[in-house]
Amino acid sequence: MTESGFTVDVDQNPYLPEGGRDVSAIVTVTSAADAAGLSASSDSPTGAEIIIIDCSGSMDYPRTKIAEARAATAAAVDEVRDGVWFAVIAGTDEAKPVFPADGTMAVADAAARAAAKRAVAGLRAKGGTAIGQWLELARETFESYPAKLRHAILLTDGQNQHESPEQLAAAVRECEGVFSCDCRGVGTDWEVSELRMISTALLGTVDIVPDPSGLKADFAAMMESAMGKQVADVALRVWTPAEGAAVKFVKQVAPAVEDLTGRRIPSGEQTGDYPTGAWGPGESRDYHIGVEVAPGEIGQERLAARVSLVAHSSSGTEVLGKGLVRAEWTDDEALSTKINPRVAHYTGQAELAAAIQEGLEARRQGDDETATEKLGRAVALAHKSGNESTAKLLAKVVDVIDVETGTVRLKKQVEDADEMALDTRSTKTVRAKKATAPPRDGQIGHPGGSDGGMSERA
Amino acid sequence: MTAIPMDAALSCPACGEPLEAGDSFCEACGKELAPLAISSNPPGFSPKCPVCSVDPSVSASAGISQEGYCESCGRKVPTGREHVELDLGLLAGVTDRGLRHARNEDAMALATADTPGGPVAIAVVCDGVSTSPRPDDASLAAAQAAVRTLLGLARHGQDPAEASLTAVRSAHRALASLGSPRQAPSATYVSAVIGSDAVTVCWVGDSRVYWLSTGSDATRLTTDDSLAEEMVAQGALAEADVMASPQVHVITRWLGADRAEPQPHIARFEPPGPGVVLVCTDGLWNYRSEAAGLTALALPAAFADPLGAADALVTFALDAGGADNITVVLAPFPPVRAETSSRRTAS
Repeated sequence: MTESGFTVDVDQNPYLPEGGRDVSAIVTVTSAADAAGLSASSDSPTGAEIIIIDCSGSMDYPRTKIAEARAATAAAVDEVRDGVWFAVIAGTDEAKPVFPADGTMAVADAAARAAAKRAVAGLRAKGGTAIGQWLELARETFESYPAKLRHAILLTDGQNQHESPEQLAAAVRECEGVFSCDCRGVGTDWEVSELRMISTALLGTVDIVPDPSGLKADFAAMMESAMGKQVADVALRVWTPAEGAAVKFVKQVAPAVEDLTGRRIPSGEQTGDYPTGAWGPGESRDYHIGVEVAPGEIGQERLAARVSLVAHSSSGTEVLGKGLVRAEWTDDEALSTKINPRVAHYTGQAELAAAIQEGLEARRQGDDETATEKLGRAVALAHKSGNESTAKLLAKVVDVIDVETGTVRLKKQVEDADEMALDTRSTKTVRAKKATAPPRDGQIGHPGGSDGGMSERA
Repeated sequence: MTAIPMDAALSCPACGEPLEAGDSFCEACGKELAPLAISSNPPGFSPKCPVCSVDPSVSASAGISQEGYCESCGRKVPTGREHVELDLGLLAGVTDRGLRHARNEDAMALATADTPGGPVAIAVVCDGVSTSPRPDDASLAAAQAAVRTLLGLARHGQDPAEASLTAVRSAHRALASLGSPRQAPSATYVSAVIGSDAVTVCWVGDSRVYWLSTGSDATRLTTDDSLAEEMVAQGALAEADVMASPQVHVITRWLGADRAEPQPHIARFEPPGPGVVLVCTDGLWNYRSEAAGLTALALPAAFADPLGAADALVTFALDAGGADNITVVLAPFPPVRAETSSRRTAS
């Protein structure tokens, strides 16, 4: 580990054929397992947490839903560490502060947590659903406090019925960069795409909790994970050459697929920043980066991209680590035609996620032919890549006839919860381990030559 | 460059005062010393982009990154190691990037010492393993560590075989400190200590030493640590088919943090008469691997002008394709001092 507690590793095949422009690399960012080793800035950042709880009328059907939501919120409150600002918001067709009742934030201690739980116990289900309003109130509340690590948990059981999709989208845009948000849908009456839009924009997770009794453990785990975050506002800064170069895409590919391409914020003439949110100890995420560069002569080497991990703080921007993505032109086809195994793996995982989402959409539209083809492709991809949890979820939606070729039949009866679980978890990927050392080779012009491109390789 | 552990502190053979590795004179007693020479980038070398530095439209502030890339166009800029010639009189060497590689991952280090038994020529050549990180740093660190050890021990009159084993271990340690088992900059290694009575050779990997002689005794003094040579040893591959085998360049031993022990080979060769010792990387022997063929290319020129002959061998490899980095060191045997000043050039 470096002094910052972060390492950045690059895995790629740097070799391009004559005239080749496209460079692809997997960038692995890992934080130190030891919390003390993570020191982005000397001032330890303060955290702020808001729990947003759906109190629409439907939360009363079944009655256990609102009761479990209250218990889950209380469990999450119990996980809030001393000194962290926190608040609870109740959401209906409007948003109301529950604790503190005046719309401020409380500093967590035993008394504040007890008071919050008393307020939460009084929550009743009554009214509609306007998630944009909830997010608005959360943003206003967060912005009144100079906390660095701002995180929210949002729970809903239904669709966003009492405001337009445009209103929700506008509210989400306002919240981008202000706080991160993990979204949970309880039951099966909510819209996966709606919550995914929010969680993606706000750098959080989305998942289904089919049975309200599962909320408590899930909320406690989410809050515990949020409390572990130590370094806020971390971004991938991608440098590319001045002329003839462009970043084609930046995607997080593990633990789940998140396309960050459109999130670029220019940070210099040749650099752009892609947000990764907050980091805790012992985390590791993989990113797939595609860059286009101006072709070079045979034998020439060029830096295609420099990927730096940067943390923004009041004291400026700190570089936590960096890795190099290289391009080297060769007339040896054995080198230039080789696809890096991890690039191939994650390309497959992204295709898997897309096939599931497209297949489920086709199924909803009644286009069984497309649904069968896409979900079949997904079955084959999940099998080939060893993504067992996705394979299991798929098997609840289709009958698998041949796993190798992806021959499937749509199930006649599918539980809503199973379909939604497949949809929300379609982006979860399995990790591609770095290949063990390839055969050593003193000379480069041999098939044993590797994909090279390790960290800092120059 | 990472600091290199010093295994054998250098000291003046006349007064015993400590010396710096590159000293030409003893600071204490003024004795002239034979220096060592390393194919690192030349003193005062400042890297600049061959394209952007001459383009007035690019701001002068577009510098060169720490990793050696142009901050504007991304080109890998010359490091000064692309072509280096070293001449210490008793021996000379040339290393070249070749035609197909972005950088020169070979390194060489030469030294001479005057001992009671006569002058000694020392050569270390390393080829960075392309599949490891920072192979160019690896080869240089290994060569530099080894030559310092060999020179120090030669000045103290240590047995060349023992000195060679100590030197390969110090090269191994230098590489261990450069990386970790997971990220292990690696290199091949070969050293030759040419004394008045024998040539002592120590190696790990597939960089080679040849004995070149116009008599019938021209021969290779090393055996590659490669899959192909292992197959020959097991009778699975005919010697004549080695060069055509895809396994010829897959090496089975190297120096690096991912190897617990250096596992070197050592050999002592007593030449029957005058000849020339050739130390080289596969960038040369890819194109001419037989000792007789290499003799025809290098002799007799190498007796009188080792640098010119080394240059000619490098040119031969470049003309033949230059697919890899090329390093050639030539040392006439027996080593005899002429009144020659040491010099170093780089272009």
